[in-house]
Order: sequence, then C-alpha cells, then structure tokens
Amino acid sequence: MQEIDIVIIGGGCSGMSAALSAYKKGVKNVLILERNAYLGGVLKQCIHNGFGIHRFHKDLTGTEYAKKYIDEIDDNQIPYLLETAVLDISKDRVITAISPSKSLIKIQAKAIILAMGCRERSRGALMIPGTRPAGIFSAGTAQKYMNLEGYMVGKKIVILGSGDIGLIMARQFTLEGAKVLAVAEIMSYSGGLRRNIVQCLEDFNIPLYFNTTVTKIEGLRRVSGVWLASVDKHKQPIPSTMRLIECDTLILSVGLIPENELTISAGIPISESTGGAIVNDSFQTNIPGIFACGNALHVHDLVDYVSFESEAAGENAVDYVSSTSPISNDTIRVTEGFGIRGAVPHKIQLNTGKEKVKFQFRPDRPFGPSLVNIYSENECIYSTKKQVMTPGEMCELSVPIKNMKEDIRIEVVPT
Amino acid sequence: MFDAIVIGAGISGASIARELARYKLKILVLEKASDICVGTSRGNSATVHSGHDTLPGSKKAYFNVLGNAMYEVLCQELSVPFMRNGTIVFATTEKDMETIYNLKERADANKVPDVQVLDRKGLIKIEAGFGNDVLGGLYAPTGGIVCPYTLVTHTCYNAAKNGVEFLLNTEVSHIKKVNGMWLINTNHGNFTAKYVFNCAGTHADIINNMVSSKSFKIIPRKGEHIVLDKRFANLVKATISQTPTDLPGGGHTKGMGMMPSVDGTLILGCPAYEVEDPDDSSTQENGLNQIINYFVQYWNCFPISKDIPQFPKKDIINCFGGVRAHLDTDDFIIGEVEDAPGFFNAVGIESPGLTAGPAIGRYLVTEAANKYGFEKNFNFYPHYICKKPFREMNDSERIEAIHENPDYGKLICRCEQVTLAEIKAAIHAPIGASSIDAVKMRTRAGMGRCQGGFCSPEVLRILADELGVTPLEITQRGEGSNVLVGRIGCSEKEE
Repeated sequence: MQEIDIVIIGGGCSGMSAALSAYKKGVKNVLILERNAYLGGVLKQCIHNGFGIHRFHKDLTGTEYAKKYIDEIDDNQIPYLLETAVLDISKDRVITAISPSKSLIKIQAKAIILAMGCRERSRGALMIPGTRPAGIFSAGTAQKYMNLEGYMVGKKIVILGSGDIGLIMARQFTLEGAKVLAVAEIMSYSGGLRRNIVQCLEDFNIPLYFNTTVTKIEGLRRVSGVWLASVDKHKQPIPSTMRLIECDTLILSVGLIPENELTISAGIPISESTGGAIVNDSFQTNIPGIFACGNALHVHDLVDYVSFESEAAGENAVDYVSSTSPISNDTIRVTEGFGIRGAVPHKIQLNTGKEKVKFQFRPDRPFGPSLVNIYSENECIYSTKKQVMTPGEMCELSVPIKNMKEDIRIEVVPT
Repeated sequence: MFDAIVIGAGISGASIARELARYKLKILVLEKASDICVGTSRGNSATVHSGHDTLPGSKKAYFNVLGNAMYEVLCQELSVPFMRNGTIVFATTEKDMETIYNLKERADANKVPDVQVLDRKGLIKIEAGFGNDVLGGLYAPTGGIVCPYTLVTHTCYNAAKNGVEFLLNTEVSHIKKVNGMWLINTNHGNFTAKYVFNCAGTHADIINNMVSSKSFKIIPRKGEHIVLDKRFANLVKATISQTPTDLPGGGHTKGMGMMPSVDGTLILGCPAYEVEDPDDSSTQENGLNQIINYFVQYWNCFPISKDIPQFPKKDIINCFGGVRAHLDTDDFIIGEVEDAPGFFNAVGIESPGLTAGPAIGRYLVTEAANKYGFEKNFNFYPHYICKKPFREMNDSERIEAIHENPDYGKLICRCEQVTLAEIKAAIHAPIGASSIDAVKMRTRAGMGRCQGGFCSPEVLRILADELGVTPLEITQRGEGSNVLVGRIGCSEKEE
C-alpha cells in the first residue's frame, strides 16, 4: 500500500489551499485526490468577479482565483491525481479510491484533510409539489451547463431562493438574453450577499419577492409555469395570494449542504448545525489526524475565507504529522446561544500555548445593532459590537483563550 | 404480422411478453411512453406483498400469493435485487388488535404462509424498537421488497433477447377485428396480430372499450411517496405499517407505512385519492402533507425511533406520485374477453399488482397457450445476466471490472456510485436508455442525495456522445422534454 504523509480529498479551492500550506510548511509527501478531470472545483464555472478581494487584494473571477492556486500547485510540483474518486476512508486513515488509469488504489495516510466542498439542496428535498418536467435546475447545475458546457438552460426563468449562486445566475441569464421573471425568497431577507442583490438584481430590474415561495410546478414535458404564493409568519403559503407565472425554467438556489459522505463513512460525527464534521480549534475531527476545512466543514460566503481556513488546516496537519501538534487533555465544548448558527469550531483545546481561537458563525436572522457575547460557563469573557449582521454573511471573531474555563456559549444580544 | 401484440410495458405487459416468448410466436410490445416501466410500475412502494390483507376469493388475493411465491426464482433468473424482509402491521388499540385477528383470518384463507399474530414482546423480537403504544401486530415473513425498475426492465430485456420486439412512443388509437385478425392503428403505423394483450394500466379501459361491449371505467387513483436518505439503511429491516382503519375491499389504501427499499433508502407513504387524469403522477401538497403529518405524529410507534427520535425532515431526498388503475369492483380483471376472442385483459392492476404481475403473466399466457395450442419454444433462455452494480462490488471485483473496462474506474454519480461503464451499458441495453430519466431508472444515477445536481450534465453529455446527437437533442424523458434550449452566444438561426 502506498504511504503518504498528508492526503487531501478534493482539489477545489479548499484542497489546493490546504495542500499548498502543508507543502510550504515542510511536508513534501502530500497528494491531492480530485474526482474531476481538472483542479479548481466549482470555481471553474464561476466566471463572475468578486473573488480574491481579501486573499489577494484583487477583484478576480472564480476561474482566475482558481488559476492562481493551480499555477502554484504546478510550480511547486505538488502531486495530484485527477479523475480519482474516493470511495471510502477508514478510521485508521486508509483511503480507497478509483480512477480509470490507476484502477482501485489504497493509500495509507498519516493525515487526511477533508476538502470535498458542498452540494446544492434539490427540488426533492424541498418537496415542491407538482409535475416533474424538464427545466428544473439547481443554480449551480445551470451554471455548469452554461459556463462549462456552453448551453442555455431556459428562456423565461423563475428563481426560487436568493442565495448567492441564484443571484449571480439571474444576472448571467439576463446578459445571455433570457428573461428572469422573478426571484422568490421565502424568508423576509436574502440569504445572499448584499452586493449581489444590488449588482445582480437591482441593476437589471429583476423583481425580488420576499416572503414568497413556489407552491406548485406545472408542465408535463417542459416546465410551463410555476405558482408563487406569499407565505404567512409560519412560512405557510396563503392560498389567496397564489399566482401562476408562465415560464419554461425554474432555478433553485435554496441552500448548500456540506458534502460529508466520506466523513460519515470514517465514523466521524457530524454537526447538526453546520452539516459538516465536528472539529476542534485545529480543524481536527474526532479521529486524530483527520482534518476538515472549506465548504465541506461549513458553507462559507466568500472563497477567500475558505482559503484562509484551509491554509490553517493544512498547517495543523503538518504539526500532526511531525508530532508537534499541541496535545491537550482539556477540551471544552462550544454551544450556540440565541441568534447563532453554524458556529465553528465545536471544541477548543485548552493549555496548548495557543493564544487565540477564531470563531466563525452566522446569525440565524438579520440583526441591527447588537452585541455578540461569548460566555465561559455563565461569565461573559468577550463582547463585541456589530452594527448589522445578516445570515448571508459569515462573522468571524478572534477571542483570547486564556479566560476560557468551562463550556463556551456564543450569543447575540440586540441593543 | 404478429402472433401476439402486448399493449403496455409495465410489470403486467413485461411479464406477459416474457411468458409469450416461451412459445414459438412473433411478439410485439407497444408502449406509448418514451421508455418501458413509466406508469404505475415506476411510481409505487416497491413492495412484494405477502397477500395477508387482500379479500379472500378475489383475484387480487389469488395472484398476490401466487406471484409472491415466484419472486425468488424470477429475481435470480433476471438478476433483480429482491429481499424477503417481512411485513409487520402493528396495532396500538384493542380495536386494532381485532383488525389484526381479522387480517390473520384473511391471511389463512388466502394461504399466506407462516403469518403470526404477535404480542408486543413477539413483535420486538422480530424488530426491536417499537414504541410504547404498540400492543402487538401481525407478522408476515413472506413480505418482500424489490427494485421495480430493474424487475420490469430486466423482464423486458429478457423478452427482447428471446426475440420479442418493442416499439416505444407508440400509442394505440383504434383496434378492430379484420378477417379474423386484430388490426391495431397507432401513430407509428398499423399492426396486425392474432392475439392482443391489454396491459395498458390506467388507460386499459379505453383499449378494452375499443373491442368489447362489456365496457368499464378505470378510476385513476393517486398517492404520493416520500424518500428518505440512505443513512437509515440498516436501521429498519421489515416493511412496517399501522393497522388500517378499513381493510382493502373497503378502504383506499393499506394505511401509512414505512418501506425499506433494496437500495437502502426508506420510502414513506402513501395516501390514495381519485384523480381525473390517468397520467397525473404529479405530487400534491395535500398528499405530501398527509404523509408528513402522519409520520410526525406516529414516528414514535415505528422501531426506527429508537435510533432517530424524531421524524427527520432534513433527510427527505425526494418525493414522487404514482397513479394506479382502480376499478369499482376493487379487483383485477384477468382473462380473455368474452365477446372478443383472442383479446386478453390484464386490467385494474393496482396494488398488489407488482407482486401479482409475474403470476398474471404466467396464468394468462398459459390459458392462451392451452386454448389456442401455442407451440413451445425450446430455445427460450430464461436468464438475463448482467454485472452487479459497481456500488455492490467488493474491492477485488472492482479491480477486475476496471481492468476489463477502464470506464468502471470513472465515477459519474457519486451519491449512488454509478460508473461510466454502467451508464454506457444502460444506453446500449436491449431496450436502451435514450433520456436522462431512462438512464436514472436503469442505473440510479441521479437518484441519490444530490438528485442529479452534479451528474446530470455529465449523463447528458454521455448520452449525446453515445447516441451520436448534440446535447440539445437530449431529453429529460422523451419528446418535448429537452433539457437545454440553445447554445450560448448563438442566435436561434445559427442553431
């Protein structure tokens, strides 16, 4: 069996960032496994800009952002295998993968970094009633057809959900000559970035309806229309508001789910809140030597933060492999208090010599001016002011560890 | 000219076609849809019923029990996944227990083997985890589960390999007797045959009424199902339902139930209500809510609640509707039509139709063969052999498969672990897949958690490559359901 120090699963932004940082920190025996025939993952289909402002202080397209990493991977001759799909990871870090050229391979890894990214929530998961015609796409699938394959998916389009990919696609459909008739959002606020609402909808006069959802899909062969309805405060459609919009396409941009089939196969517990692995402040899962980062750990708003996080995970994997990781028997839990969801990390190791821990989370609803407080047991050990917080944007806090004693709780206190 | 024409390629039509192939006959199957197995045979609970609840003396009871017993051999011959996982009907009230004893009487009258009435303790021995409200129930060990898509497609493939011809997208418009032969008009020309088998599902009344004065009306009945993620695969073994308030022969459904599938998902369903349109397999909010509300309320009764304490709404991966062909007599019509000799009906094949289908096929063809003296075809080959799905192979089988064909090393659908080799095989099968849904039904590509989000563009491209057409011509499921509408940057003229 082949032995590798650090195997990175996934060659998207997260995997490449982790591999590069591990390599630069001195572990040369690394390997990226990528199931596609190219590195870069979903960035390759993101031909719009807005990438890299934090990481490179430049406004890049997704493809340009990916290229920076791919070039660096190639310049450093970091090994990767393409068209290689990982089927299984065992508790003792044996990876089983297949590829047409290498057949079935088994790799014993000293450390593994899980960087599989995320997938889109489907129509089936939403249980939208109606027929099952052609013309229903998740936003990312439509993006793939358009930007990687070069085909239009529809002409008269309704978008459900105001997630970022849906907003980006609304603009692109319009630029390519299709008509976006409506964007419907069941919540009273958008799940996307403010800048995307302005640049992708408002600039093109595309109507965005809040508190509105799709209640039924019509059409036998191709979508012929969708029913929109306003929802009440329990998110139930109000029958008197139902209206039929004639269209040939329904695009779903209704949330992303971290990809964790492999994580589960290794027996690693998953957080109900993030949908990703439960990790400590080193991004290490419950299995020593297996780390998780990027959108496989929790869904990020900007790729820049995926890079930062994955670079940290890569360095931590190096520490683990070279037996210099902090060893601590004193671990405390992090819980989500009022107004908080998707908090990472889930556990913090004490007495490791590390000074600060970086928390990432999202508010579970929009907040105006408020405090974000961090409690250790019931004592507030950290507090910071936020003017505005929305679920579409991730929050990050760097908090000193020294005052942490008992279980940690993060909470929003509106002021 | 054909000896026999079968109208409809669901479980009944497929079974009849395959049974006919045991005789020296020239056989044609006409299917109006763009693929085989698209009607009731596609949208159902994939259950092989034991026959414990059908009305004694009915055709449903007879063919259910007979069909159930055929499944081991049939599924072995045709390489179809099948499992006798057992069926449990649980009771929560004393009144339910009375019904359970009634079911036991029915089961005995129907000669269903080994059915037992169990108290709570006995039930828990069979399947641990029943809720505190569960008093006892009925256990029918011969209940099973099957993959209906594989069963119908492989039955058709086997028939095709034995010389049966299939015509898809072919809708029958008229049938009449001309010079002692049946003349069938379709959108793809006229066909004649000595014998016609009507297996037209929810349209079987229209077909029957073309030839017989004994007309009847199919009442299309619909029900939704909800599919839960594979992660529960090993948590439930038996097919479990609550005691129905009405028994079949008086009620609309077997009651709500939880059906494990051979593919590891859990199916929840299903309501039943009448609809106008015999092709209306859409899902309705009411039907879906009925399932959700039921399982939210009664989740604790089901054994799965010991591991998953609450109804896991987050783990719903899909829902689907199915239409069934109901007759007001609440029974199948099976046999030669009195005033139309040579014309055979397999009609009203609603639940337990999937179970009964193979037995209906054997019975009806044997009747016809005896009456009309069909000559045995000694070259009939009963097996359809295919490689097991990649997802079920062990490491050494996988190495061997990739060695033989490197396409086995290219994973296309990651949720269901479907490889390029399997998708190509589906496209080039005896009745090949020509649409995304047809590939999905044959391989499960797109049936998993992401519902084709990642693999559908790849499947589309493979279809275009293998069929030698442009991606623009590839459909979701047949004519008019094209997935893509044009090339980027081209005006419509250039396309």
